[in-house]
Amino acid sequence: MSENIKADKVLDLKGLPCPMPIVKISKGIKEVEINQVIQAITTDPGSLTDFPAWARTNGHEILDTIQGDDTITFYIKRVK
Amino acid sequence: MDTLNYIILVPMVYLSSAIFIAGMIYRITSIFKKPVLTIPLRIYPEKNPVWLYTLIDTFLMPQVFKAKPVMWYFLIIFHGSVFLLIIGHIELIQMFDIFQIIEHDVFLGKGFIGLSLFVSLLYFLFRRFTPQAKHLSVLEDYILLTLLLMTVILGSEMDWARTWFGFQEMTVEDYQTYLKSLLFFKPDISDVTYSGHSFMLVFHVFFANLFIMFFPFSKMMHAIFTIPLNKIRRG
Amino acid sequence: METDLREDLLKAFEGKLNQTITMYLETCSRCGICTDSCHVYKSMPRPEYSPAARAEVIRKLYKKYFKFQGKLLPALGEARSFDDTTLDDLNRAAYSCTGCRRCMTHCPFGIDTQQIMSIAKLMLVVAKEEPEILSMLADVSISKGESIDMIKQGFIDGLKRLEKDVVKKWKLEAGQIPIPTEVQGADILYVALAGAHSIIPAAAVFNAAKENWTLSFFEAVNFGAFVGDPAKTKLIMDRIINEAKKLNVKEVCICECGTAFRVLKQMSGKQPFKVSSITQVHERYIKENKIKVAKNQFNGVITYHDPCQIARNGGVMDEPRFILSQLTDEFIDMAKRAENNYCCGGGGGLVAMGEDSHDFRMKSAKVKADQVKATNASLLVTACENCHSQLSDLNKYYNMGVEVKFLSSMVADALIHD
Ligand code: HEM
Ligand code: SF4
Ligand code: SF4
Repeated sequence: MSENIKADKVLDLKGLPCPMPIVKISKGIKEVEINQVIQAITTDPGSLTDFPAWARTNGHEILDTIQGDDTITFYIKRVK
Repeated sequence: MDTLNYIILVPMVYLSSAIFIAGMIYRITSIFKKPVLTIPLRIYPEKNPVWLYTLIDTFLMPQVFKAKPVMWYFLIIFHGSVFLLIIGHIELIQMFDIFQIIEHDVFLGKGFIGLSLFVSLLYFLFRRFTPQAKHLSVLEDYILLTLLLMTVILGSEMDWARTWFGFQEMTVEDYQTYLKSLLFFKPDISDVTYSGHSFMLVFHVFFANLFIMFFPFSKMMHAIFTIPLNKIRRG
Repeated sequence: METDLREDLLKAFEGKLNQTITMYLETCSRCGICTDSCHVYKSMPRPEYSPAARAEVIRKLYKKYFKFQGKLLPALGEARSFDDTTLDDLNRAAYSCTGCRRCMTHCPFGIDTQQIMSIAKLMLVVAKEEPEILSMLADVSISKGESIDMIKQGFIDGLKRLEKDVVKKWKLEAGQIPIPTEVQGADILYVALAGAHSIIPAAAVFNAAKENWTLSFFEAVNFGAFVGDPAKTKLIMDRIINEAKKLNVKEVCICECGTAFRVLKQMSGKQPFKVSSITQVHERYIKENKIKVAKNQFNGVITYHDPCQIARNGGVMDEPRFILSQLTDEFIDMAKRAENNYCCGGGGGLVAMGEDSHDFRMKSAKVKADQVKATNASLLVTACENCHSQLSDLNKYYNMGVEVKFLSSMVADALIHD
């Protein structure tokens, strides 16, 4: 499915210390328009629980989560 | 003039004592009625026994010694003198044998307690005007120090006159008569108001009255709270 | 200020006035002995950065609304009413303080400025003027606690990716799982952070010690404590307590995160498990011969930064020094006494505020940088994620020329077989 998703912005969040991935994605999402999509790439296993919880509390939508060998990629749509 | 002397030496003393006692009871009970904080706020490393280190922290202030040695000397001199001063004043009411374990004349200290109080108060007051402390200081800080300084100057002068210059008109017995008469609610100020030095006593008591009245409502409550707070820090 | 808001702020203030805080507010003699103890003041000597000056912002409001003296004669103590600048002043006082409590060790009365600042932080929360990012992070943590059953599978899958790295550091014996989760009755519940760097080395050491351990689904850090919101602090802490109780573990081991350790150790009350920091657990393993580490694998002089919440405020000071004594012969301390180490300047939520606080964090921690430089160390070790981030920033900003490392990862790298 992810091949069909076009990201409007890419955030590289690999290897960042706590809590920078969430801090940066919160900033990043404000830099795209509503309904645009951010692609965020991390190495944190914790982001697999953090990002869904973040999306839920902030009302955004995770379109897809892809776990690669070394990285995790999220596609997140700004909803509001 | 006589009326003013009387007001300061009798009713005002009763009033300030009453305010002091009621104020202390009120302030302390109102704080101990508040909820207890259950989270420990201790600082490490742990030193045992805690009660001993609490008392050391309270009375010897090792933290201040490490951080500000000059301040520490004055604080210790000042507070030590306050302690002796309190004994001295009790003896102005009545002699007690336990205080005479180390034999001394009343007023104890041969005049040097007043002098060291005077010098340390000057130090405290001057340092209030250094840039660091000035920004922190509020009116209360200057007022307390000024009240004490005035009290100490006048008190010391009476002491110095007797011990250093052999002044005989107002003696320890005269002070004892006056203070005992107050204690037993049969005020008699005749022994201490006829002399040329009487104005010193009147002003000494006046400033002391103001200080005592202000005590429970000021930062002077540190005299009480320092023990529980130091205990909290030690755990 | 609107009356409604003022009422709410006063209610929050009053709720904070327990015995201890009230005595703190009553007792300060404004002697200023604490002034030079604060790294912020030492680095930027402005009067408002004295610990007592921060506390005065609160104390002046206290006098006005809760103290007889301030009601009768406000001029005596400069008692102050709420006005348009109050919230700004509270913000400036509270968020220029890292809550390191170094000042508390200098004050003759042991006044805890962090506690007084917690009043300011709570009022900012009530006024919705707190740093937004901290509240948001706290909410994310809480939401995770509520929805964990829905999202934990993704996490378990994610851990699989780390297994090869764990095994690379320490070969497993038959039957060992590299990163166990949900082990009922485990001896240790390890609470990590989101990043792989806080899971892989720890897992390798647990496995080397043949520990019966299990990894928590939650991150250790408590953003509720950073933002000073007691209700959120408790919700975030309870996630871990409940998990520990459900799994019936004997010990909860907190990763290298100072706030997490202090909050759980001192605020959780009496619990059926014991709370340790990973540094304590590693020291135990070495002392009990459960793991062996190679000496002098790291070159050059090594120094250690004591995370305030773990050392001065958590009591873990000898343990890291013991571990380092096993790893190197070239250890040098920054301060004579561990409890006297300066704060890194990143505590109290400042690091989490990221770039917004960067300028202040760098300038206010100049004394820390000087302290590190004076050791001439090439390796700067610490045991707190927050300190690590801040020290890394300082390293760049002040050209300190050190490498900043986690103690736990050094232990993992030095593991050797008998
Ligand atoms: C035993 C516990 C006590 C401790 C640990 C203690 C400690 C201190 C400290 C640290 C100061 C700071 C000096 C300053 O403000 O510049 C101070 C000042 C002072 N203390 Fe105490 N004190 C104690 C008891 C008392 C008592 C019983 C009195 C009773 C008269 C007293 C009277 C004063 C006065 C008058 C000052 C000067 C205030 C000033 O400098 O503005 N103290 N004390
Ligand atoms: S050292 Fe303690 S009493 Fe003195 S100004 Fe600082 S907080 Fe107040
Ligand atoms: S807790 Fe630390 S940062 Fe805050 S005032 Fe005290 S010394 Fe300064």
